[in-house]
Amino acid sequence: MPAETRPSFWTETAQLARAVGRAMGVTFRNLLRRPITVRYPTVKRVYPERFRGILALTYDKETGEENCIGCRLCEYICPPQVIKVEMLKAEKRNWAKTFTLELYSCEFCELCVQVCPTDAIVMLRSFDLATADRRELLLDKDRLHALGLSYEPSWATGNRLRDMQAPPKPAKPAAEPAAAAAGSAAKVSAIAAAQSTSDRRAPEPGDGAPTAPPK
Amino acid sequence: MSAIAYHALVAFIVLNVVVGMVTYVTLLERKFAARMQSRIGPYYVGPRGLLQPIADALKLMLKEDVVPTAADRLVYNLAPIVFLVPCILIFASLPFAPGLGVADLNIGVLFFLAVSSLEIIGLFMGGWGSNNKYALLSAMRAVNQIISYDLPFVFAAFVPVVLAGSLQMSTIVDAQRGLWFVAYPIIGQLAFLAFVVATLAAENRVPFDILEAESELVAGFRVEYSGMKFALIQLGEYAHMIGTSFLGALLFLGGWLGPGSDAPMVGALWFLLKAMLIFLLVTWVRWSFVRIRVDQILAISWKLLLPLTVGLLLVTAAWVAARGGHAG
Amino acid sequence: MTDTLQRTTVEIGYGGSERLTMNMGPQHPSAHGVFRAILTLEGETVVAIDAVIGYLHRCHEKLAESLTYVQYPTIASKTDYVAAMTAELAYVAAVELVGKIDVPKRAQYLRVICAELQRIASHCLWLGTWCMDMGGALGGGATIFLYAIREREAVLDLFESLTGARLLYGFHQVGGTRYDLPAGWAQRCRETLDVIDRRLDEYEAMLEDNPFFLVRTQGVGVVSRELAESVGVAGPLLRGSGVDYDLRRAAPYSSYEDFDVRVPVQQAGDCYARYRVRMAEFRESIRLVRQALDGLPEGPISSRPGVKSVGQVRIPKGEGYSRIEGARGELGCYLVADGGAKPYRLKWRGASFSNLAVLPHIIPGHKVADVVAIMGSVDPVFGEVDR
Repeated sequence: MPAETRPSFWTETAQLARAVGRAMGVTFRNLLRRPITVRYPTVKRVYPERFRGILALTYDKETGEENCIGCRLCEYICPPQVIKVEMLKAEKRNWAKTFTLELYSCEFCELCVQVCPTDAIVMLRSFDLATADRRELLLDKDRLHALGLSYEPSWATGNRLRDMQAPPKPAKPAAEPAAAAAGSAAKVSAIAAAQSTSDRRAPEPGDGAPTAPPK
Repeated sequence: MSAIAYHALVAFIVLNVVVGMVTYVTLLERKFAARMQSRIGPYYVGPRGLLQPIADALKLMLKEDVVPTAADRLVYNLAPIVFLVPCILIFASLPFAPGLGVADLNIGVLFFLAVSSLEIIGLFMGGWGSNNKYALLSAMRAVNQIISYDLPFVFAAFVPVVLAGSLQMSTIVDAQRGLWFVAYPIIGQLAFLAFVVATLAAENRVPFDILEAESELVAGFRVEYSGMKFALIQLGEYAHMIGTSFLGALLFLGGWLGPGSDAPMVGALWFLLKAMLIFLLVTWVRWSFVRIRVDQILAISWKLLLPLTVGLLLVTAAWVAARGGHAG
Repeated sequence: MTDTLQRTTVEIGYGGSERLTMNMGPQHPSAHGVFRAILTLEGETVVAIDAVIGYLHRCHEKLAESLTYVQYPTIASKTDYVAAMTAELAYVAAVELVGKIDVPKRAQYLRVICAELQRIASHCLWLGTWCMDMGGALGGGATIFLYAIREREAVLDLFESLTGARLLYGFHQVGGTRYDLPAGWAQRCRETLDVIDRRLDEYEAMLEDNPFFLVRTQGVGVVSRELAESVGVAGPLLRGSGVDYDLRRAAPYSSYEDFDVRVPVQQAGDCYARYRVRMAEFRESIRLVRQALDGLPEGPISSRPGVKSVGQVRIPKGEGYSRIEGARGELGCYLVADGGAKPYRLKWRGASFSNLAVLPHIIPGHKVADVVAIMGSVDPVFGEVDR
């Protein structure tokens, strides 16, 4: 502090006293607040819909067949290259002969989910697969399917993600309900369109409602 | 013979009570700090985390005792004990209620202050014996700091002594039957304030914890200690802190005085309550401020605290002389 | 000045003889990752500092050459993991610049929202760790750290409900963003911002006017304007030294020209000035996010169809340098494309790296305790320094 602006001794002491009071007041106020930490293993916080957790494979809901067609797109796009797929060619559709996923190297980027043409690979709303043995995280096809049945999947699937990202085309075929809903919403009103291409949205004020552009 | 046996028994009880209290005071501080920081604190071991101190002590006892190869073994191994003994010894002079205590010396306050500042020897031994640069720097800082802060600490503690006209702790408490010393206008509050600040510094608590200073010196003088030796140092620190809290309660807050304090156990409870209040106050300060630098700490002591306490002592003495007698 | 600039370490004159060499790092509570500072001490005073970096080198630029334009944005966030959104943004901005790809207005606004939220989160971490450096993990510093982390977590919760991840988002993709806002997100975002806005007052109540804090920061680690300009520091460090320069206003990207960007500047150049700048940036970022939410336009979030395969994005031959204002300053990405699906060469320009270069000029002459205060006020992230 420069000499000329140095306050007097009494000013400094008064300032000190006030600062001590303010700082201790803040900690006291927080003493009365509820703790924000969660007692993790017994209590779990609510994971959001789009949570990117453990990967899993899915079955078709109607036929009960495996969704994966072994196209290996996920294997190609995986940045850390943790997915290995072998394709089994068949009459009507193809199958994955083997599907291994090294979860311990996975970085949960969701690119494999993004490219999956049949929504076969999804992410789960859970991440706690801690284990003492690394090999348990080398997931094979059966394990991945079992995981998919035992945890709740997150919102994202390949088709949903691509629909969300695709620029809306004027004459988009209503092949997928979610996209169709968003498409029709865009026509209904400007505010509803503000809710954009994401599905499951109720119109709400202030959620990107068009107002005057800021300047 | 029976008197010696009696004193030995009392000393044994006090020692164990102190050690037990120290372990549980750590839990109190951790819970208090946790709530202040929007956390929960220990809660796993036992109901609401009540057994956590035991678990900690057990863990420290079972840990491997590592001695650095280049350490000065004798000094290094001796340091925790040299550090711990004065910290425990200060409880010898503390009466917890009328007639309840190891020894109510007629120079009680002096004994307390003299013994409690001996801990610096163990501290410096630890810093030197570890043969570690962080520890050495920390020990150097410790000597600086304790020399600077013992003076205001002593002067602040002597204000009640002058008011009561005695160095004996029970007499000082008795002198507060009318009015606690902290309630004496201006003198009492300023002396109490100076006492708390000097306590913070003497106990190496934030904002004066430059010897520990883990962001600069990792853990200061105890960086190389592990296991049981580390536990001893920790025990000594907390014992010192509680001892000083007791002293503060005794000198300024009227010791065991309070409603119904004529029954011995009630008086002791009052005393404990007041000491814990001071402890929580110190803890509250600790978790609210950032650390200051070594030169600034010295400046605060020599430029602000020491003149303040010396002046206070003089004013108090003049006031007592003018009134023509001591309180109580 | 030119004389001292050419030397790696600057020693102050001292006639004594007993010196102590002390290592701070690479494993040290205040090393902010893996920074090694070899200090030469004279008592408590630092007379020379030698900085060693590179412990966190992960060949990130080489990695970028082996991953396609689709893959790398998810990993770009690993360069600066404290402000991951901005690192992704710099990469996709470079690709869009070289490939001349348009970005829809809505995506640009979403990018602004995320970049500003990320700045808030990053500054939260800076404030917490800096106070912990100065205040101790067993004292008031830890209290502020936990408060700041509490607010950072609130922002990360927003990111989590937007992208699903808390650290490596993968939010950006070439031509737009990968995710649109989920239902109710804007409202939650506003509420979170209101809370953070109020809590900022609490931090200031704990720090500002507090003499303990002021003596630790005022006049400590002064970076003069000349030094700042000649060393090439960026971001809050530069603005704390009196240079009114912010890329969001100097070279607007991603629709920043639509916004009313106010740049806080302090003249003193010390730790306190940098603290003031960052605290003001907190509030500026909150204001910008609110502006962006108010004016969020409709439309698509990406100018390109959703990614279906690894080599989907190809850009023509060319090269370009995109720069954005990250939380730590100018974050640049130089990209050379050879017409394929992968970059031919990529170079990161991290602000942390250039900011660190100022340390040998300002640290000598200070006490050991000031070293951590200065280092914390520079706010380096070693993922970005070493890459």
